[in-house]
Amino acid sequence: MPLYVKKKLTRVPITIAIIIGWLLTIWTLQKTIDKTRRRPLRELLVEEMMYFPSGNFLHPTVIEFENIFADLVWLRAIQYYGHHLMTDKKFEWLGHIFEILTNLDQRFINAYHFGAITLAWDAREVEEAIRLLRKGMADNLLDWQLPFDVGFINFVLKDDYSTAGYYFKIAGKLPNSWFITQRWAAYAYGKAKKFETARQLWIDIYNSTDNKKLQELTLKNLRKLQLDEDLNNLQMALDHFFRDNRIYPKTIIELVNRGYIKNIPKEPFGGRYVIRGDKIQTTTSPKVIFQLEFSPSLIQ
Amino acid sequence: MKTAVIALNTFREAIRDKLLLVLVIFGFLLMASSKIIKPLAVGEEAKIIKDLGLASIALIMTLIAILVGGRLVYKEIDKRTIYIILSKPIYRFQLLLGKYLGLMFVIFLSIVIMTGGYYVVLYFTQTQANLHLLLSVLLTYFQVSIITGLAIFFSTFVTPIASSIFTFFIYFIGHLTRDLKALAAISKSPIVKIVAEFFYYLLPNLSNFNIKGPLVHDVLINYSIIYWAILYSLLYTGALLFLASLIFRQKEF
Repeated sequence: MPLYVKKKLTRVPITIAIIIGWLLTIWTLQKTIDKTRRRPLRELLVEEMMYFPSGNFLHPTVIEFENIFADLVWLRAIQYYGHHLMTDKKFEWLGHIFEILTNLDQRFINAYHFGAITLAWDAREVEEAIRLLRKGMADNLLDWQLPFDVGFINFVLKDDYSTAGYYFKIAGKLPNSWFITQRWAAYAYGKAKKFETARQLWIDIYNSTDNKKLQELTLKNLRKLQLDEDLNNLQMALDHFFRDNRIYPKTIIELVNRGYIKNIPKEPFGGRYVIRGDKIQTTTSPKVIFQLEFSPSLIQ
Repeated sequence: MKTAVIALNTFREAIRDKLLLVLVIFGFLLMASSKIIKPLAVGEEAKIIKDLGLASIALIMTLIAILVGGRLVYKEIDKRTIYIILSKPIYRFQLLLGKYLGLMFVIFLSIVIMTGGYYVVLYFTQTQANLHLLLSVLLTYFQVSIITGLAIFFSTFVTPIASSIFTFFIYFIGHLTRDLKALAAISKSPIVKIVAEFFYYLLPNLSNFNIKGPLVHDVLINYSIIYWAILYSLLYTGALLFLASLIFRQKEF
């Protein structure tokens, strides 16, 4: 074997050994650096969010790649939410993240939806959630999901049935909306004691369908609405009677005789209205009403 | 005919360029990475895959235009081949146009290959492949046409590195020209207003070509946007090549 070939052959293992040695040194060194800089993941995430620039600033700097940057923020948001859900249940930067995300991609409906639901339920930032959704509504005028979510949050978390009904009604009028949205609107208005609006919505639902089952359901809800309205009116008359006389009447007929009401309305479920102490009640079994109130009609 | 010969030669030259290959492979890797991201996306897989594909195509094509386009004319000067070309009966404008068309053909081919790859990724990730997304690719091509024009324009009087830097800046600013319009609207100073308005119309408005967002979200777009953007691109690129040829004509070889 010529000498230069021999020399070359001895150089190859030395070169490989040097490369492996170098890689091992770098690997060990990086491990040592990582160990000295190790901090809890939460701390790192919070720190990262603190320096995350606002969406208004980020939007122009990412030029035509705003959507892909929004996707990256979405992945970060999911990680942030998941981590805090499994650990301390603190979501202090959640609003900030979704603000950035929706500034980058104003049409990212799921970001508004997921952001608002997590803000409202997990972070307990109800107003922040509604603000995020209203911002989304301004940018996505034809999307039904966002007003529906505003309505849902008002209904469930704020007990503001009137506002909830208003937003459900808007959602129901938008294209491709979930078909039960109008029912939610009618139901919410009924709970808000806006009986006339609720009645009109139920009648609209009745007239808009040929589905016998849905029509039957609508009629049941109209009866329930009538019951609620009657109970409300009779209760007001009873309270009025008490304010004038400092005593409650024994029977409901007294309210008619003394001119507080014109007549006793017919109870829509076949029962009777009666006075029990300071309350007007119906003799219909609460089970019947309960079944209707919590029937799947609102979600099916 | 002479322009076509130069275009063909530019095309051959660019195809042999390793940079082009590296960029296209990088683009494919970017698109394929959506497969890794998919499990992390929580319900937004389709959106992310579509976004990543369109962004990769736009990024890679822009880089090809900036990096390859910036070297086109300079390479001929550097290698002294410009003397041989210009000693033939050819106008300088034909040389620039040939260079431009050659590179645009390379970009066209790269865009076709990358778009094919994009639809393969969409198919294998079971993402609904909407043909509307092609409209975004089409406008990316016409955006890149302006960027190529800019790169050639700069390459007639500065070095390739400077040309790439200038082109990149104009590309960046080109996506922010609407802010100039906003500045003109809110400014109280008439001089600022005039200057901002002037640059708003002078600089290429590249946001005209960005319809990726609405298409990914299946939002209906006004199709006239596309015709106007293509016309805008043709006019702007024509003006850039004309200016480039004016500068190039002044050069003494």
